[in-house]
Amino acid sequence: MPSFRFASHASRRGPLRSLVHAAAGLALAALAMPALANEPWQRLDAAQSLLGDSEPQTQGLTLDLPHVSEDGSSVPLTVIFDGELDEGDYIERIDLFANANPSPSIATFHLTPLGGKTEISTRVRLNETQQVIAIATSQQGERFATAREVRITVSGCLVRNGGEMPDSLSNPRVSIPSGLAAGEPGEVRTLINHPMETGLREDDDGNVVPRHIVERFSVSLNGDTVFEAELRQSVSANPYLRFFLAPQESGEVEFTWQDDSGETARHVAELDIT
Amino acid sequence: MTQHSSRPGLNRRQLIKGLGAASLLPLVGGITPFAIGGQHAGQVVVIGGGFGGATAAKYLKRTNPAIEVILVEPAEAFYTCPFSNLHLGGLRSMHDIAHGYDELQDRYGVRVIHAMAEDIDAATRTVRLSTGSELEYDRLVLSPGIDIRWNALEGYDEKAAEKAPHAWKAGPQTELLRSQLEAMEDGGTFVMVAPANPFRCPPGPYERASLVANYLAQYKPKSKVLILDAKDNFSKQGLFMEGWERLYGDRIEWVGLSGDGRVTRVDADRLEVETEFGTVHQADVLNVIPPQKAGWIAERAGVTDDSGWVPVKPDTFESQQAEHIYVIGDASVAAPMPKSGFCANAQAKVVAAAIAASLESRPAPEAYWTNTCYSLVGPKYGISVAGVYRVRDGVIAEVEGSGGVSPANAPETTRALEAEYAVGWYNAICQDTWGTPV
Ligand SMILES: Cc1cc2nc3c(=O)[nH]c(=O)nc-3n(C[C@H](O)[C@H](O)[C@H](O)COP(=O)(O)OP(=O)(O)OC[C@H]3O[C@@H](n4cnc5c(N)ncnc54)[C@H](O)[C@@H]3O)c2cc1C
Repeated sequence: MPSFRFASHASRRGPLRSLVHAAAGLALAALAMPALANEPWQRLDAAQSLLGDSEPQTQGLTLDLPHVSEDGSSVPLTVIFDGELDEGDYIERIDLFANANPSPSIATFHLTPLGGKTEISTRVRLNETQQVIAIATSQQGERFATAREVRITVSGCLVRNGGEMPDSLSNPRVSIPSGLAAGEPGEVRTLINHPMETGLREDDDGNVVPRHIVERFSVSLNGDTVFEAELRQSVSANPYLRFFLAPQESGEVEFTWQDDSGETARHVAELDIT
Repeated sequence: MTQHSSRPGLNRRQLIKGLGAASLLPLVGGITPFAIGGQHAGQVVVIGGGFGGATAAKYLKRTNPAIEVILVEPAEAFYTCPFSNLHLGGLRSMHDIAHGYDELQDRYGVRVIHAMAEDIDAATRTVRLSTGSELEYDRLVLSPGIDIRWNALEGYDEKAAEKAPHAWKAGPQTELLRSQLEAMEDGGTFVMVAPANPFRCPPGPYERASLVANYLAQYKPKSKVLILDAKDNFSKQGLFMEGWERLYGDRIEWVGLSGDGRVTRVDADRLEVETEFGTVHQADVLNVIPPQKAGWIAERAGVTDDSGWVPVKPDTFESQQAEHIYVIGDASVAAPMPKSGFCANAQAKVVAAAIAASLESRPAPEAYWTNTCYSLVGPKYGISVAGVYRVRDGVIAEVEGSGGVSPANAPETTRALEAEYAVGWYNAICQDTWGTPV
């Protein structure tokens, strides 16, 4: 007769439980301590020169990235601001950095009150396991910072896109919301095919492939700029951007991509407010 | 199972309490009131009798037969996902991919309970079963595989899976998809929706597309396969594409993320899917491989993180969040090891050794793992990727210079040999994991 044990209900492991609680208490205490001079953005020159002497707030800005990514050539990233700002103030700029990439600055986004909701997604290249940093600046100069570690198991530099490299600035794709009320934030998604050559990669013959990237993306509504992005080498091939617009009136939305050879692609769509 | 109902009498926990500081030590021989002649080396409960769980149960017993090992698995026959794509392609019966638990019980002395584990209390180290009884454990192994994240893809819920099967757990779903494929008229389109990383079996969707194309080429030559992918890169991509071109011409079309391949809405009633930028594709047979997460029991055990998977300590696969719970196979975060049956089997052996050591208060032996994923592009056309993994700087890393993929543009004889190796691999791993066929 084997001796399998079944549970006896009355018993609880008292001493162990309180140990666990004590440990949880310590962890909470650690969280509540003021930030030491050891935040990832304090260790990155590019971020420091943006921040200057200002001490950013650490609540309100969130980066959403996978903890572990199996493909460093295209890591989905979302940055969200839902913190408190004074009446009339808004986030006008967000900078993204990858502290261990050959050139850490990933992108800079310029926003307007017509965004309605501060949430931007893109896909980025991460060379190795590292901290991704976001810094948001409000129109009145408030600063917010956040960072998130991402573990990369296959480097963004080694993986080439499967199949052929896309032609530059081909197949612009746009998805805009329909049936919005005036001032209601709606999701906009854009994608364009472009190799986003970093200037660091070698071809099969060992020659460096020259840098060739989309540098600027802008969106206007009835002629007024409502969203702009400065992109750098760490944005994945075929740049993807998702953001929000909260238009007050119907009109024409124009999307423009410009690459470093001066070429541009345009796409125009009609937006209807109900 | 009636003979194992709860025993009254001496309460082990109270006894341990009385020992004060000693209660923090591992529970080894002599402490439990149920030990026979002081031989009790600890009780390990294993949840899930798939690749990880069945292997862990067997290797625990092989490492130390004195350990009481209880395997909890609802099914009496386990259908392997590996080679289920061959069933879809009409090349193997379901019977050929079924395995049972006789050898584990009869030869290794594992107690197999056919029930579902419904809840786990890490504080009291108990597992509640669907039969109503509870099991205590000194160490717990979870290898529950994956669960589908229903509705993570708009329109894809359990009801939709009856019309647009995922077939990502082998069994009735596999048979449903096979019958739909058989019923499809010539000239139809088999549409497959492939997920973003991480997911079970990275090359699996592409092997499936291959073997479906092989079937169509023979029986429904006007039909096509369309893969809509949420990724720009996939496992062994170059080798698959080379094989597709050689064997199937343009029968298989693959649309990646940057070509608007990411599906954002499924309409299972109309067999229709819509992509991120609004393209609607009509299918005749629709196979949706949806986003996944660790088997739900892992969540009940409190070991998953916000990704839905289980972070583990790399050298032992013990949960980072709960002591004495070891999580292996697809449920764990083991990248760069893929979520494969081979890896689940390799992780199980590491865990068996680590648990046996910890029950004797010895340090775990140093861990390393190997993996080979064979894929069949056609019945006589095999390709593979292999890797060796160790812990480096506190994380699992592929050993530099180990492994690799099959050569590109290899002659037919190489591909034919690898197809034979794939069958050899399947037979060997099933022999190692379950031992006997059903
Ligand atoms: C189409 C396809 C092809 C594949 N081909 C290959 C291949 O060629 N090679 C390869 O190495 N891998 C392959 N895989 C991957 C392989 O199937 C998985 O990686 C492997 O099954 C993982 O093992 P596991 O133990 O984690 O989970 P599983 O093998 O799925 O086992 C999980 C078990 O746990 C049980 N369970 C779940 N919850 C509970 C609970 N609460 N209580 C009790 N029991 C529970 C389930 O019933 C199941 O039996 C393939 C997968 C697919 C989908």
